[in-house]
Amino acid sequence: MGIFWRVLSAERLKMSKSFVWLLVIGSPAVAMLIGALANMEEEGQMITWEVLLSVMSLFHAMFFLPVLSGVFAALICRAEHADGGWKQLLALPVTRTSVYLAKYTMIMALLAAVQLLFFAAVLGVGALRGVDVPIPWTMFLASIFGGWLACMPLAALQLAISQSWSSFGAPLALNVTLTMPNMLIANSSTYGPYDPWLQPMLAMSPFGEDRFGAFNLPLESLITVVLGSLILFLAVGLFSFRRKAV
Amino acid sequence: MLVTEVKKMTQAVIETTNLLKEYRGRAAVEHLNLNIGKGEIYGFLGPNGAGKTTTIRMLLGLIKPTSGSIKIFGQDLKRNKLQILRKVGSLVESPSYYGHLSALDNLEAIRRILNVPKSRIAEVLDIVSLTGEEKRPVKGFSLGMKQRLGIAAALLGSPELLILDEPTNGLDPSGIQEIRSLIKRLPVEEGITVLVSSHLLSEIEQMAGTVGIIRSGRMVYQDTIAHLQQQAAGDLRLAVSEPEEALILANRRGCGGTLQEGRITLPRMSDVRVALLIKELVENGHAIYRVEEHRQSLEEFFLQVVEGGQSV
Ligand SMILES: Nc1ncnc2c1ncn2[C@@H]1O[C@H](COP(=O)(O)OP(=O)(O)OP(=O)(O)O)[C@@H](O)[C@H]1O
Ligand SMILES: [Mg+2]
Repeated sequence: MGIFWRVLSAERLKMSKSFVWLLVIGSPAVAMLIGALANMEEEGQMITWEVLLSVMSLFHAMFFLPVLSGVFAALICRAEHADGGWKQLLALPVTRTSVYLAKYTMIMALLAAVQLLFFAAVLGVGALRGVDVPIPWTMFLASIFGGWLACMPLAALQLAISQSWSSFGAPLALNVTLTMPNMLIANSSTYGPYDPWLQPMLAMSPFGEDRFGAFNLPLESLITVVLGSLILFLAVGLFSFRRKAV
Repeated sequence: MLVTEVKKMTQAVIETTNLLKEYRGRAAVEHLNLNIGKGEIYGFLGPNGAGKTTTIRMLLGLIKPTSGSIKIFGQDLKRNKLQILRKVGSLVESPSYYGHLSALDNLEAIRRILNVPKSRIAEVLDIVSLTGEEKRPVKGFSLGMKQRLGIAAALLGSPELLILDEPTNGLDPSGIQEIRSLIKRLPVEEGITVLVSSHLLSEIEQMAGTVGIIRSGRMVYQDTIAHLQQQAAGDLRLAVSEPEEALILANRRGCGGTLQEGRITLPRMSDVRVALLIKELVENGHAIYRVEEHRQSLEEFFLQVVEGGQSV
């Protein structure tokens, strides 16, 4: 356990002072722009938080969260793939499990930062556009936290791919390619919930009345699928990393 | 003899037994029995593709041997990997670094894992003479500086064993000299054992006490540099007044000489036999103009060993 925290602390230092912070603020900034400019007022009606959240989260959850999960996974392995990085790191007194879990934790921490900034962006835009109904905290927290939770399997899958492919670009290209059909798969209640690239969007959309396709799914089933695939992807990645020839 | 054997066994820092690594049925390293004593600088020599890096990766637990065992500090590597690695510093092939971070931050990241005092960073920077450059991003460093940073990183945990794979790769002569004198100082100052690989004997011979030469995955020579120098000691050359007759006389004594450019060339022989031969030649009326020992350079000898021309 001590080793895990020490590796995590080293990983944090390695990620700091890099352009990763630009990526963290990117999506919330875009969401803010969309929220500030979108035409949401229906005749004479006030904007509700639900509407604001769905408008702002659409692009964020459908596109940015899956892509960022892959980008962070690739970034966290990049320096190790260059030169003798894995050799240097794994010849230190560390266990491979702690290195892998520390890297995974870093990805999830970065995604948590993205979600918190996104939340701040929603609240900010709401205040700007004069939404004056009470803030539905439960719904917000479920959406923000749910979106983060739903990134976990994808991040685990992307880390598994990034640690084994020495290329930086290939896992990213694969990731973006598989993110693109999200809008199509969202219509399928059969496959949708099992698509790791779609899960963040399913989890973040407010659970209101008019649900369709994969959205028409109880939260509990989504959580079950998410946790199940998380354990699967994490186990596969860890297994392969522990046997990796460096 | 028995006493020295026992002594060597208790002091071995690295000891491998029948180490074998196969890639798809092809052996990259086989029957490797390394024995490196405490405080030694061990030169691990071999041409490209001989299996040096493969061996070093096995010693660091980065790849698993196909068979055979590795003991470091007398402990089995498989069972006590963490304890062993805690006392080992390494630089394998090229140094790794985070280009956007300064040398200081690069070392700090490793320091956090090793959990050594912060003051150690300044110490290792001083050892590799990077003091004053530590705040610059490493991507602006020259190859030599990066290499020295890699060595600094390897020294950070105050290791008892330092494993350096071709630390002078790509450096200019002064860079090579700098790294060489740095490595030479270490065992004296810090009491550490060093395993340093290279494909050039000339790079190693001035610092290593013992050398192991590996060819196509097999150890073909393992002994002290002094012994290597003896082995390399070459022929005797004689310039005499009547070479043909002198040669017949010498060969009648079983010297096995040949005539080259008008000189008699004789393979290495003991001082006593040289004295006897000269005496006999003089007694038979030969005038002896010159007696020279033609020393084969170590490098020539090394090449012979490496190319398989000589079995040692
Ligand atoms: N992952 C691998 N898969 C297949 N063969 C490998 C692998 N790694 C090494 N080899 C083979 O093992 C042999 C030894 O390689 P190694 O890198 O240990 O040589 P080396 O002595 O370090 O050479 P160099 O001086 O070029 O660094 C080579 O023939 C190489 O092709
Ligand atoms: Mg090599």
